[in-house]
Amino acid sequence: MAEFTTAVYQNEFLPDGGTDVNAIVTITCAGAGTAGQGGSGDAGEIIIVDTSGSMGPATMAAAKDAAQAALAEIVDGTWFAVVAGADRAMLAYPMVSSGPAMVRMDTTTRTEASAAINRFVGSGGTAISTWLDLAGQVFASVPQVTQRHALLLTDGENRERPGQLDAAINRATGYYQCDCRGAGTDWQVAEIRRIAQALLGTVDIIPRPDQMRQQFQEIMRTAMARGVADAKLRVWTPQGAQVLFVRQVAPTLEDLTDRRTAVNPLTGDYPTGAWADESRDYHVAVRVAAKAIGQEQLAARVQLAIGDDVVTQGLVKATWSGNSELTARIDQQVAHYTGQTELAAMIQEGLAAKAAGDEATATTKLGRAVQLAAQTGNGEATTKLRKVVDVESEADGTVRLKRTVDKADEMALDTASTKTTRVRKDPAPGS
Amino acid sequence: MTAPAEPTCPSCGAAVAAGARFCESCGTPLSAGAAAPAAGATAPAAPASPAAPPVEDAAPISAPTRRPAGALPDPPPDPGRRPCDACGGEVGPDLYCTQCGAKAPSERDHFRERPASWVAGVCDKGVGKSRNEDAMALLAGAEPGSRAVLVVLDGVSSSVDSDVASLNGARAAREVLRMPLPAGMGTPGSREAAVRKVLTDATAAAQAAIVATTDPDSPNPASATFTVAVLEGTLVHHANLGDSRCYWLPDDGPGVQLTVDDSMAQAQIAAGVAKEVAEQGRAAHAITRWLGRDSEDPTPAVGIVEVTGPGWLLACSDGLWNYASTPEALQEQVRAAGTTDPAELALRLVGFANAAGGHDNITAALARVEGPGHNAATPAATAGEEG
Repeated sequence: MAEFTTAVYQNEFLPDGGTDVNAIVTITCAGAGTAGQGGSGDAGEIIIVDTSGSMGPATMAAAKDAAQAALAEIVDGTWFAVVAGADRAMLAYPMVSSGPAMVRMDTTTRTEASAAINRFVGSGGTAISTWLDLAGQVFASVPQVTQRHALLLTDGENRERPGQLDAAINRATGYYQCDCRGAGTDWQVAEIRRIAQALLGTVDIIPRPDQMRQQFQEIMRTAMARGVADAKLRVWTPQGAQVLFVRQVAPTLEDLTDRRTAVNPLTGDYPTGAWADESRDYHVAVRVAAKAIGQEQLAARVQLAIGDDVVTQGLVKATWSGNSELTARIDQQVAHYTGQTELAAMIQEGLAAKAAGDEATATTKLGRAVQLAAQTGNGEATTKLRKVVDVESEADGTVRLKRTVDKADEMALDTASTKTTRVRKDPAPGS
Repeated sequence: MTAPAEPTCPSCGAAVAAGARFCESCGTPLSAGAAAPAAGATAPAAPASPAAPPVEDAAPISAPTRRPAGALPDPPPDPGRRPCDACGGEVGPDLYCTQCGAKAPSERDHFRERPASWVAGVCDKGVGKSRNEDAMALLAGAEPGSRAVLVVLDGVSSSVDSDVASLNGARAAREVLRMPLPAGMGTPGSREAAVRKVLTDATAAAQAAIVATTDPDSPNPASATFTVAVLEGTLVHHANLGDSRCYWLPDDGPGVQLTVDDSMAQAQIAAGVAKEVAEQGRAAHAITRWLGRDSEDPTPAVGIVEVTGPGWLLACSDGLWNYASTPEALQEQVRAAGTTDPAELALRLVGFANAAGGHDNITAALARVEGPGHNAATPAATAGEEG
């Protein structure tokens, strides 16, 4: 049985009249086991591969190979299906037209699915909404599958009427999780990120076909290690308090604020999806009514709930103090993740400005991003930023846009913008 | 030393390190004083509270196997968590209100006792303090005016574990005073000597309990003041060490402070300095005698007074009398409260001290004494007993 633990990092001391309480809540899961084997329902996996005409021979060959690799990672007994996506979606395996559209993995089905993948031929356009909808229908055809995960590969921009994709994302949200990968540079990061964020998955670029196999393997391995299905972050706040935001800040940045479902007037649930043996950090900000100096109160009770069971909780407190040495301190974790959140925003806004031809804004924002990446020790962001801008001074955040930039580097910077680094949790005394 | 081999949090059950003050998992305070009432509430049949060993040590070897009829029972256990002070909402197991999030005091930080309708007390942390080192232990016969025991200790905050020590000490003293004081002796003098012996024994039991709580190697051994008032009919016996006090506060006529402080201020008053000046002095609260391992002389000053009701017998810590030192000032607060219910008056007095600053822990233990022929329970007191 999985075990969860919680740690809270905050400066609970507020100055006289202070109202805003910030805390980083770290939730760690151990002993998660394997997907679908926790006794709370079966796991289901769907591999969705872009088979539109834009997939060149090399990309298609790599995609087939990668899909095979993903197939190999699916644990025996897991329900699965393979979807081929073009201007409409087709159930490539199992080849059924009614009844359950998923089968359990075993030697026979693995071989049959492998053969089906090898028959993929690229033709037609790209209508991702139909892929998402078919995946939802496939999952729904096997009711005992309660932990639902899909892996989606695309290489092109979605060619549908505006709104169609968003409607399909809404239909899938909360029903299944989806990790998304873009092959090459002809796809839209913002578009695919919307899918991944809504469906509690990751997004990344696979610039070269030969990197695809490893990525698919890793995604599927991670998915199969998620032995805890569908956990929710449950946040209680006192009467009259306001939740300013709830964000996952590590390993990736996801704003969950708008995804609250009310449990009761004081408590809301935020989706976190399935858990493997891992640790996630959440930044919770709450505004409470100021109290007199010396008073203490609970500003938030942050719990992880699986079904109706609360498996762990952390307490976020507020104590009003007249001692400015106590109240002026900003918790190191809170400061770190506040910086990482701004870093992500600066990268995304900077790249958007650059794409729109607003070089002045792009230079300012990406400069600030370089500065923040250095300050928060985000080496990956620094490396990726340096492929897009020439850095004059890291400390001052002064940069020049590179005249020629590899499109893949720019997209890699964009997709990696929400990846955060952690900071050491036990600062040395006096530091 | 009072913790079991592998201590667990009484609230969430998580393992906790020996000597930890708070549970690492849920934040519940873990002082032995806080754990004891909770354990008593869940398993009233097992009186194995941390206070028990010192009491056993101090009890006479030839103790009766069954309590004689005259022994007073312990007050009913505190009903536990009260509704939130701030909003009236339910307080959760982690001691925060489930509605407004206000922090509720732990059982150690605020507790109440009401052994009978006419005797009650409140022991409170005080708004300006971080923990409650005051302690009290009360006993009373059911019949108003029959027999009451008020024990108040004030742990010295510069020492370690004073909160645990003071509560253990208070309960140990209460154990000794459970039986009626000696009576039917040949002469008043011999009775007085016998009563002095019992009060000294009670003090010695508190002293033993405090020393037993103290880490032998601690550079700041736990120490506490000690005051006790025993009312039997119209007689009040009192004993004192340090600067907690007993008062007799009649409804009409002048009140009187029964005990004399063992403090620098009192020494100055004895030397001729005005009371008001001495009690405001910088060293006024330095006590000259106390209980604890480093006590030089744990023998209490004892006294006796005959009282005629109606009025109040009060035992309190300096957290209360700091804000109303003279009997007149206390009588003014009693009159302002306008009640004959001891539980309500104790709350009012604690509230008064907190409103005035609450810079120290506050304890107020009260026995209501009606006049001759008025010993029946007052309607207010009877109604209050249910709560």
